Amino acid sequence: MKTTMKALGRISATDCVKLCHRVVDGLCGREPPCRSDYSATWSLEEWLQLLDFLSGLFRSTVGSNITDEEVLAKLSDVDHSHSQAVLSVVRAREEEIRRALLDRTNSISSATLQDFDWQLKLALSSDKISSLNTPLLSLSLDVREKGALRPITMELNKEELSSLISSLEAANKVVLQLK
Amino acid sequence: MEEVDKILIHALRQVGTEVGENIERVGQFTSELIVEAVVRCIRVIDPGPGGVLPTTLPPGMSARFRVGMSLAQACQDIGYKGEIGYQTFLYSNEPEIRSLLMFLVEKLPRESSEASDQPTGKSAVLHRAIATVIKAQLAVSWVPLNCRLPLHGETQSRAASQKFSVHPLSLPYCNEGQKSLKEVKEYKRDILLPATAQSPSQTSMVSSMLEQHMADLSSTQEWDTEWKSQGLLYRLAPQEYRSRKLKRLRNRIKEQLRSVAMQSPESIYSVCRPSSELSDLLRAFRGPAPFDLILTKGTHFTHTQKFTFTEEATAVKSQVHSGRHSEGDTQLHQQEELALLQQQFQQLCSDIDQIAADMRHRSVTSTQVFDELKQRELENAKNQEDMQVKKTTLELLPDADNNLQKLQSQVETGASRVVNLASQWEKHRAPLIEELRRLKQICSSKDLESSTKLSEIKHLHEKICMATEDAKKKEESYKQLVTELESLPRDVSRSAYTQRILEIVGNINKQKEDITKILSDTKELQKEINNLTGKLDRTFAVTDELVFKDAKKDESVRKSYKYLAALQENCNQLIQTIEDTGTILREIRDLEEQVGIS
Repeated sequence: MKTTMKALGRISATDCVKLCHRVVDGLCGREPPCRSDYSATWSLEEWLQLLDFLSGLFRSTVGSNITDEEVLAKLSDVDHSHSQAVLSVVRAREEEIRRALLDRTNSISSATLQDFDWQLKLALSSDKISSLNTPLLSLSLDVREKGALRPITMELNKEELSSLISSLEAANKVVLQLK
Repeated sequence: MEEVDKILIHALRQVGTEVGENIERVGQFTSELIVEAVVRCIRVIDPGPGGVLPTTLPPGMSARFRVGMSLAQACQDIGYKGEIGYQTFLYSNEPEIRSLLMFLVEKLPRESSEASDQPTGKSAVLHRAIATVIKAQLAVSWVPLNCRLPLHGETQSRAASQKFSVHPLSLPYCNEGQKSLKEVKEYKRDILLPATAQSPSQTSMVSSMLEQHMADLSSTQEWDTEWKSQGLLYRLAPQEYRSRKLKRLRNRIKEQLRSVAMQSPESIYSVCRPSSELSDLLRAFRGPAPFDLILTKGTHFTHTQKFTFTEEATAVKSQVHSGRHSEGDTQLHQQEELALLQQQFQQLCSDIDQIAADMRHRSVTSTQVFDELKQRELENAKNQEDMQVKKTTLELLPDADNNLQKLQSQVETGASRVVNLASQWEKHRAPLIEELRRLKQICSSKDLESSTKLSEIKHLHEKICMATEDAKKKEESYKQLVTELESLPRDVSRSAYTQRILEIVGNINKQKEDITKILSDTKELQKEINNLTGKLDRTFAVTDELVFKDAKKDESVRKSYKYLAALQENCNQLIQTIEDTGTILREIRDLEEQVGIS
């Protein structure tokens, strides 16, 4: 742990701020920091340890509402400027980290919808009927199930789609009550 | 007639005839122009035989004659009923040419009118547009990836098949109410990338932005509808309403979790578990808990266990110790000692058990004793109080009368004071009650006012919704009408048609006047005829009588009477025949007209 924190001292405080912000970005589901940018500064092991340490620190700080002093105590082994930099990042991104953590907690159930996409198609004719003119919706859902992404694709006609939408609306009503 | 000619010339130009700018009437058409116009029209109407006809007149007279004959034949084939021959083209006269050209122009296939006959609903327009686009796309042939031109961009580029993937964006919202920290401001100013640079790939940028926008929009909209439908009824500020809802929700979740947690120990062994997922989750949380609990708190059992083990260890140590002292002892001795020690150990164990039981018993008794003690103390205090009262009464007893009077006076003063205080209280109370009533009234009136205002607000919301919907609908119909207008042909001048219509209306009016004139003429004629027939009848009757009288006396007069009668009969027959002829002629004309129409 101490060596990890010492390793943080190898970059300047401003770079440290940038790195920490990137780590928070990674926590919030955006691009995490790139290893190749820092490959000269740290070895792979150090890099992984540092990332683990920083993300754990951010998570625990925001998750359990730790005060500034306690955070500084945790960072006692690095320079004052560096610890201040980390602290400023924590304070600046507190809301975002909290939201990300809440999202993680919200998706606690066995399967969650990650993303969805749809395409509307108009079937003009089939092999049996020359003029069909039936709108079809192909819906693809990305469901995260126990950590693994599972794509589900289906094709719905008008009635099926309307029944799906009505059931989703009912679900939304329940969700609205919880907001 | 000039308007008709304009329309005719316009139509001919559309067909492809080169009519000069200075020609404005059919009367100015030369023979060549007439031939060209007719041939082009025939080619459009019936491309089969029309294709062989020449558009120009040959120089030779006989060739011209032949062309004229073939043209006349072609016109008759199409269905022209009027008189037509080679002379129509070579030695033209204006009305004939006009009627021929009008017939031909009317026969021209009308694409624009067909288009306008189709249904013009919104969906029909959309379907037609889709059909045309798909037709165009199907017409484009597929080409490999490397040979693609911008022409293929829409349908065959990879972007069309790309997934709509979304990455979360971080946007600097500006909350007016909250003052943001210095660090937050610095982060937003210096570090945060613009939203367009946040997503990793260019393609997901647009979708991410759309998604973010959609989410924001829907959340505000939902909040809006909720606030308008339910929130207003609570009569709270939005923040208060939210906090209250949050509290309620937390309580509900807590209760839910608690009830599941209570159920789960029993349901572990039951076969069907209704809320299995939640209880599983809770069990997962509770999984490591029991060990911690035992380790930290410790039970009576663990304490005794620890205690016995430590004691055993010391016993073993002492044994080892004593073993060293007595060197060279026999095995028997050792065994004896071991047995002894075991006995001792067992005794100790039993002792400990006993002691533990004793301790438990003692603790129970001690709590009992404590309870008793408390009770006693309470009793004691009570008794002391009693004693105090009795003591004072005992002291007061010797001077009983005096003290009684004192007591009575004290009681009286107390009573008077109470009365006094009550009256004072009444004094204070009355205005306070008044005030209370007044405030209550104000409150109720305000309540009423607020409820009316609430209903007004709701009404207004509904109105706004309706108005926006109305506006949307109108906008849509406006758009549709605009597209329809654009799809309509706009090349024929409107004024020409209106002028023509006005002319026709004028003509009709004139014809109507003529018809009324003719009708009145006819009526007059009818009247005259009636008059004449009446006169004739009367004259005949008088003559008949005169001649009949004379006929009795004279033979020659009798003959003349016979002739008169014959004359009368013949004339009647003649008139009848003439009338019949008239009706038949009329019928013939009617039938001819009908045949002509059909």
